[in-house]
Amino acid sequence: MYRTFLSWRWMRTRKTNIIGVVGIAVGVGALIMILSIMTGFLEQSKKTLRGGLSDLSIEPLFLPLESGSLPPLDPRPVLDAVRADPRVEAACAQLVWYGILGQGGGDAAISALRMSEASGSQSLAGVKLVGVDLADEYATTALRADLERAPRSGATRVADPQRPFDPPPGHKPDGRPLASVVVGEQLARAWNLRRGDVIEVVTGVPDAEDGDFQVQNRRFVVAGTFRSGENEMDLERIYMERAELVDFLGTGRQYSQVLVKTRDYDAIGRALQSDLAQRLSDLGVLRGLDTGEVRTWEDHRRSLLAAIKNERVLMGIMLSLVVLVAAFTIFAILSMMVTEKRRDIGILTALGATSGGVSQLFLLVAFWDALLGALAGAVLGVLGAVYIDAIEQWLSRVFGVQIFDRGVYIFDHIPSVVNPSWVALIVLGAFLCTLLFALVPAVRAGRLHPLDALRHE
Amino acid sequence: MANQNKDATRPLLSARGVKRRFKVGDRIVEVLHGVDLELFDGELVALMGSSGAGKSTLIQVLGLLDAPDEGEVHYGEVSAWKEPPGERARLRNRAVGFVFQFFHLIPELDAVENVLLPAMIGSDPDLKARRKELRERARAMLVEFGLGERLDHRPAQLSGGEKQRVAIARALLLDPKLVIADEPTGNLDSTTGAKVLDLLLEEQKKRDLTLLLVTHDERVAARCSRVVRMKDGRVVDPRG
Repeated sequence: MYRTFLSWRWMRTRKTNIIGVVGIAVGVGALIMILSIMTGFLEQSKKTLRGGLSDLSIEPLFLPLESGSLPPLDPRPVLDAVRADPRVEAACAQLVWYGILGQGGGDAAISALRMSEASGSQSLAGVKLVGVDLADEYATTALRADLERAPRSGATRVADPQRPFDPPPGHKPDGRPLASVVVGEQLARAWNLRRGDVIEVVTGVPDAEDGDFQVQNRRFVVAGTFRSGENEMDLERIYMERAELVDFLGTGRQYSQVLVKTRDYDAIGRALQSDLAQRLSDLGVLRGLDTGEVRTWEDHRRSLLAAIKNERVLMGIMLSLVVLVAAFTIFAILSMMVTEKRRDIGILTALGATSGGVSQLFLLVAFWDALLGALAGAVLGVLGAVYIDAIEQWLSRVFGVQIFDRGVYIFDHIPSVVNPSWVALIVLGAFLCTLLFALVPAVRAGRLHPLDALRHE
Repeated sequence: MANQNKDATRPLLSARGVKRRFKVGDRIVEVLHGVDLELFDGELVALMGSSGAGKSTLIQVLGLLDAPDEGEVHYGEVSAWKEPPGERARLRNRAVGFVFQFFHLIPELDAVENVLLPAMIGSDPDLKARRKELRERARAMLVEFGLGERLDHRPAQLSGGEKQRVAIARALLLDPKLVIADEPTGNLDSTTGAKVLDLLLEEQKKRDLTLLLVTHDERVAARCSRVVRMKDGRVVDPRG
């Protein structure tokens, strides 16, 4: 009983203990705050990193199977099999091929190809041709939103997002009507393309019989632009109807990938991935289970995601040093206190305290320090993380310096995510760490021979 | 002699052949060379001797604060230094009270709390049950000792005499049969010291305590029933 009573009294009356509490509170608070903000940043970067990737993508290799037969070139069996799964919300087939965009007709493009150094980069651009089925695409990907996003200056959107591949208003073909395409906003800007402009696309496809590359070219009319916000997509993508691209390439291949939107990716994404791989290889679409033909969006970004995770772990470890320093403060304070309290230890022993009791007494002092410090730190840290924007603005105002440059990032506030289990872990960690550090001086106090101190003042 | 009628009874505390050695640098110095001493119920014993004679070391061995290198200390029938540390702590708590020259109060506790400390430290179940009663008792003792206005004062706010009264109350709280007082007036001016000594002797008589009083003052010794003198680590005349 005297242990609780006396430790609390010492805690309250001795100023050095306040320093310990403040030290732990600052350490814990800073750790929680910084981790929350960094988690916010990482979550934001993760979102950015994902970009336009769909939950799952199925990209068959189109190589002869073990049975000797080729996988079906038509996407329908795959789509049917995928849609049969109740965890799938929507799926769409895309045909993707690469081409070169040339200005001023096919001949000019081909000659520019031959003398690429002399003609400069403006007259040639590598593009990604994406053939889509509109209704499926709208249900599965963000294309519709990309088409409706407010254009930056100079760009023109399609006349009717419901039917983006309709001929642009006022388009009067002087021969066979041209198929419409939608181009990325950045590509349109770089090439000064406007609605109704005609472009020439050159590509090479393997000949079905001898495998040699054949050059194909076709003219299209620009029906409008889209903006996904992702640089790569907006700079090189050209959308058209899948049937049109199938016809242009003439290789017989109807699709190159099937994109899948799931009902709850975080919960079932991985399970669905392996189930679909199993089902589709049973169907004879995939070469095998471990060929990487069915991938989640995270698989596509594996190395970058791993880097993010690494960063967070590393940061956690480094910031834990702050807590370690705080715990060390307690060690120092308690060691000092044991020396200072030698006489009192002698008194307590004379009055009947055991050495274990004395150790517990000092451990309890550290316990109060740790408890108050960790709790205060948790409150401070969580409040700091939640109101970081207001705090930053206030600091910027007071010091007249912009601390967080919002122009640098694509988000306009300081993101922070407070993870309750992390907060609990940090509080618990700081608490245990402090007690562990306190154990040394506490045990020393119990072993102290109090006699010399009792003999003289 | 005061102890003659007690010879038949078993002593309250007895020390036999107590030796205590200390290491000073690389030399071993023997401070107690085999001390024998018996204290009986209700005795008032003065322990005298020049400084360095081993008085402090002896009372620390008797008070179970410092282990002898040889010899035994019996509390009644119990050989205290052969008991486990927990039992020794219990004896310090219940069987003996200390009054020190330098008062030795805990600075962060007020007068009542300081007096109550032995009751808080003790692990005997009866102490827990008597908590309220003991608190009342601590207050009553302080009032009796003339500290009624000082109950919630911390040691720093008390005079030397007041501190020593608090210390005496603390030593007596749990009714030990033995009180060891190590020069209780040695740090007080003579007037205050005399008053404190009066109080201590009064309580000894009233409670029929065994009081072992370390002193340099022959006048103090004259008031005791027996005087034990020490010289160079030996008791010169254990019978007084």
